[in-house]
Amino acid sequence: MSAEFNLISELYDKVLVLKTEGYINNTGGEKIAGEFSKYSGIEKVILDLEKSKVVNSIGISYLIEVIEKLSQINGKMVFTNLDPAIEKTFKIMGIFQFAEKAGSVDEALK
Amino acid sequence: MVKVSLQIDSFQEAFEVLSKSFTISQMINNFLQLLKTNFLPFDIYLFHRTSSDSEWTGIGEGIEKGNHDLSFLNKTSRQIDFFENNKYDVSVVLPLSDSSWLGILLKQKPDGTEFSDIDKITLLIFLQVFDSAHKAFLNQKKEKELIFELNEKIFQLNNLIDTGIELSKYEKRDVLFELALERISSLTNSSSALVKILNIKNNELVQQYTFPVGFSPEKIVNSPHKAEYSFNHFNFTYHFILSEKETRSGTTSFNELDEMLLSAVCRQVQVVIENEYLQQQNLEKEKMEKELNLAAAIQQKILPKELPSIEGYEIAGTNIPSKEVGGDYYDCIKLGDNRYALIIADVAGKGISAALLVNTLNAALYSYLEFNLPLTEMADKLNKLIFNSSPPDKYITFFIAVLNAKSGELDVVNAGHNPILLLRSDGTLEKIEAGGVGLGMLDFGLPFPGQKFMMNKGDKLFLYTDGIPEAMNEKEEDYSEERMINFFINHSKLPANEFIDLLVKDVKLFTGQTEQSDDITLLEILRK
Repeated sequence: MSAEFNLISELYDKVLVLKTEGYINNTGGEKIAGEFSKYSGIEKVILDLEKSKVVNSIGISYLIEVIEKLSQINGKMVFTNLDPAIEKTFKIMGIFQFAEKAGSVDEALK
Repeated sequence: MVKVSLQIDSFQEAFEVLSKSFTISQMINNFLQLLKTNFLPFDIYLFHRTSSDSEWTGIGEGIEKGNHDLSFLNKTSRQIDFFENNKYDVSVVLPLSDSSWLGILLKQKPDGTEFSDIDKITLLIFLQVFDSAHKAFLNQKKEKELIFELNEKIFQLNNLIDTGIELSKYEKRDVLFELALERISSLTNSSSALVKILNIKNNELVQQYTFPVGFSPEKIVNSPHKAEYSFNHFNFTYHFILSEKETRSGTTSFNELDEMLLSAVCRQVQVVIENEYLQQQNLEKEKMEKELNLAAAIQQKILPKELPSIEGYEIAGTNIPSKEVGGDYYDCIKLGDNRYALIIADVAGKGISAALLVNTLNAALYSYLEFNLPLTEMADKLNKLIFNSSPPDKYITFFIAVLNAKSGELDVVNAGHNPILLLRSDGTLEKIEAGGVGLGMLDFGLPFPGQKFMMNKGDKLFLYTDGIPEAMNEKEEDYSEERMINFFINHSKLPANEFIDLLVKDVKLFTGQTEQSDDITLLEILRK
């Protein structure tokens, strides 16, 4: 895992694919929420966490913020390539009540 | 009234829109849009201040605070004023439940209609809707925060349990420390973390790991907000540091719960390291026990199962190995022509290396004795062999006597061994002292001088290793050579085998519960 948090953003019509690398903490969460807010009319955000193995609750609060904004417009967030530890954390934090998970980005794009 | 009734639905909708806002600022912005929609003929300006002492902030695009007369909002309680022929038609000051304030200035557009009674009622209802929505928003926000905090605590507890289980799975140290740092950073919302492994004696850094990997350790050490925990194990100090507790608005100091979580994870790491150490100790112990068993097996194979019977003589001997297996050796080898070689030896050191060296000595001895070499020459050859086939700290004290059983003549070489005792029938004790250094100690060509003695009827020759005089009791006192010699003299009338048994018993009586630290080997021959 890199010392710096990196974010790659790809836009497919109204679907925003965000690929993270590194610790999803305050910095990481802020970057994700910031990238999402750059676009209007986004209906689906696919967050690929293949290169992120650690998340803290500050990072999660940013993810919840994005999920809430999406739910206001009946949009959704889909997590892909989840590390088992992160998946368990999201489950405990109740994230999957409002977001989905998929095995891969391609699967989530379908 | 028709207009108001038509708006009832829109009030409900307004409440939902407002109460579902993400932030207060978004809520006020939404309220501004609602008012603008419902009061089209008017210019509407909204202001917000966080407390009664703070400045008003204009809401919405293009609003310049300086362009407005804020003295209309200079009120200390809820107030709604309607004016005629004034700068504004309406001013509203509304205190909110979070101690912030909402200010509204409403001004008729040049071509607009008058602010009617219906408009007044509509505005009052909207203000009520905003107030209720604001309270609902705060409640929802508080509820969300409580749920989040509760979930976070469950997450911390769960993570702590999982961390303990997962840490115990890792044998590789780097994985162990990386996982511990990841988990504790996640649990405490730390920006970064470090573990420094220091040499306990000189405090020198041996190894360090950071989270995230590659993060600067110096930044962590010099951070203003830190939590630290250390423990010592064996020769090392393990020093964990957490740096910069994150919040949505920056970083802060770590709290008591963070310190507890840090110490809990560190203690789990400590348990893993200690268990690993104990496991390693057990493996080494097992390995040592196997080695000792092997050494004992080698030794027992070499030692005589039974001594030859020599006409006109009584002979008895025994070897009692210690737990660690020393390198004692004794034998009585029949050479032909009624000659017998009596040998006793003791390898410096214990365990398998000592046993192997005894094995070498035994093999060489049998070989050289076949060639009937003079003892001094044989001792010289054995010395060279042991010197070349053993490490510098290994040598053998060695005594050999070749007995001509018919004549009683003894050819003797004592290479660094304890004095051998020859007790004459008249009670005179002769000590056959060492005539050279131990075998394998030096290879300078130093001679091993031989000596000759006669064994007459009633004479006894007593060979022993230092396991007897150096046997120690609970008070750390030696059995001593003096006590052994006295025992030998005082029991000179006993048959050889009885003497051996009794001496061993006396030594055991002396040492009591103290563990035998060295092999005990005895050989006695008596000319009848």
